[in-house]
Amino acid sequence: MHHPIPRPTAALLLVLPILQGTSPRDDGQWTMPAKDYAATRYSGLSQITAANAPKLRALWSFSTGVLGGHEGQPLVVGSTMYVVTPFPNVLYAFDLTREGYPLKWKYRPDVNPSAVGIACCDAINRGAVYADGKIVYNLLDGHTVAVDAVNGRELWKTQIADIGQGETTPMAPFIAGNRVIVGPSGGEFGIYGWVKGLDLATGKILWTAHNMGPDSLMLARPGRGSYIGDANIGVSTWSGDSWRRGGAPVWGWFSYDPQLDLIYFGTGNPGPYNTEQRPGENKWTNSVLARRPGDGALVWAYQFTPHDSWDYDSNAEMILADLVVGGRMRKVLVHFDKNGFAYTLDRATGELLVAEPFANVTWAKGINRTTGVPIVDTTKTTGASRGNVKGICPSLEGGKSPASPSAYSPRTGLFYTATNNLCMNFEAAPVTRIPGTPYIGATTPYYAGPGGNMGEFIAWDAARGRKVWGIKEKFPVWSGSVVTAGDVVFYGTLDGWFKAADARTGRQLWKFKVGSGVVGAPISFRGPDGKQYVAIYAGIGGDWFLLSGDVRSDDPADVRPPADFAAELGRHTSQGGIVWIFGL
Amino acid sequence: MPPAGDLQNPFATDSTNVADGSKIFSSMNCDGCHGGGATGWVGPSLVDGRWRYGGTDGALFQSIFYGRPKGMPAYGGILSPGAIWKIVSYIRAQPVPVTVPTESWK
Repeated sequence: MHHPIPRPTAALLLVLPILQGTSPRDDGQWTMPAKDYAATRYSGLSQITAANAPKLRALWSFSTGVLGGHEGQPLVVGSTMYVVTPFPNVLYAFDLTREGYPLKWKYRPDVNPSAVGIACCDAINRGAVYADGKIVYNLLDGHTVAVDAVNGRELWKTQIADIGQGETTPMAPFIAGNRVIVGPSGGEFGIYGWVKGLDLATGKILWTAHNMGPDSLMLARPGRGSYIGDANIGVSTWSGDSWRRGGAPVWGWFSYDPQLDLIYFGTGNPGPYNTEQRPGENKWTNSVLARRPGDGALVWAYQFTPHDSWDYDSNAEMILADLVVGGRMRKVLVHFDKNGFAYTLDRATGELLVAEPFANVTWAKGINRTTGVPIVDTTKTTGASRGNVKGICPSLEGGKSPASPSAYSPRTGLFYTATNNLCMNFEAAPVTRIPGTPYIGATTPYYAGPGGNMGEFIAWDAARGRKVWGIKEKFPVWSGSVVTAGDVVFYGTLDGWFKAADARTGRQLWKFKVGSGVVGAPISFRGPDGKQYVAIYAGIGGDWFLLSGDVRSDDPADVRPPADFAAELGRHTSQGGIVWIFGL
Repeated sequence: MPPAGDLQNPFATDSTNVADGSKIFSSMNCDGCHGGGATGWVGPSLVDGRWRYGGTDGALFQSIFYGRPKGMPAYGGILSPGAIWKIVSYIRAQPVPVTVPTESWK
């Protein structure tokens, strides 16, 4: 099923010494969701190689006692592993120095169960972050907590979001310097999207920056700094006051360039799905924003999908790398959007360098490289007056889900990502906003795209915008990935396999059945014994809580028919959270 | 849940009230959680004959009026009792399958 092609070209290999020179030796820990500020999910550990990966074996597992979708990843700080569960957001601390990795402590926050019904797509959590002796993470009900990493005591708890307005908080906070950066979910609930900067020491909210609306609320200062937008573009690209309930949630991942002092993050879809209730480009929904972590000031932004007609959120990670593009070394940002295009941008200015499809795309013929605007096939534009629009690819699950973060290896120069091969029909309808209830207005059945395989795990050359190899999968691939200095890449599948492949060729090396579908992201760390390990969550959920059919068995009043487009999925998985550790 | 007592739907379950209830079900975004046709999405199906909090007129009215844990909002402050009863009429008018359609793989 895989398609090996020759190794990366000489041009890519030539830049390796420079890149390796800038990477400090791996300390064996995993202290933030994406491993490093650049969000590479690259582990510098090299004991596990393509040669010995077939000998990997399961060494430890732990049932979290929670059935929701286990997205995100554990942390390893020193000799302790930390695991945050989906709602009710239990934090476990495991002692890696002792046999069986017993618990040191667990932290049981008081989380409002009403939040479960405000979360669009299962009561998931995308993980914690460590800094300055604190484990910081979000509770689903709109609170950020900081817990003492040594003893599990709560140090501070701050309300950041309002479930009464449709805001929930499953994303993993990001820490840049002494700022904790957080954002809300709620693109399906008519929220007014934002990011906030909290003081790491106290939890105090120091700034709030909205993603649309007047410049004063976006913390945008046109004409100053390098902000590229026109004055009040966050109002003028909307009709009336539709920006006030226009969505733009922030539920994905962050990255940070300390030299430029910029944080990067993607915003989600505009609401409602019915485009006719929000004429205009709807800036800055479905965009990447670059802000100063200190005060939140907006420096530049780029919109991937203007006036989104298909729920193409842009919450996927922005991976920072130094690549030779068009013969020049560039400081870039690489992003796999739900809309099916992979983008390579200059991260200092937002200049578009490369935009090529990595998945099957029918909604656009391409991206105009000069204007940065997609060349839309208007027969695929949706809206309440346009009836049932058919044959839209990718589906609103995305060519790749932001819930499945990619990895980048400076050794191979390649990006590794899960992808989905689904298409959809889209029938929009008018909808009224009632705070705390869904604000959607569309019916969107899916079907498998060309070839019938609903997913593929691929390696991508972001300098040229092309796929290097791919491993086709029967079901959509919804897991994150990690790539290592041993040139091994790991990912999981919805039917419950955890797999290793050769990062250079895509040759499959090893797989293990982990007990439930994988929607989490693997990590690699060095244990107190000096050995390299790989950890992953099993536990299907997230969108697949909605889509898989009858994969829950905890509620006699909730028995679901099988998924219409993937009826076989329930044959291979049910819900259930398990943490796994593998080693040689 | 305790029995909901003898609360009776004051509206006849005629086609007009059922049609009104269907419109309210979608205009109040009930379908956003319970799915089009109330067949289930984030929230459970309301047409499979299985009930977490009871399926009588009174139990349904209470679920809608006061809300329920895990996300069902309290509509008592948003909708009139009459409108809630029409939603009850709509839900109660839906045919219930003899068996829940789970899968058996060959």
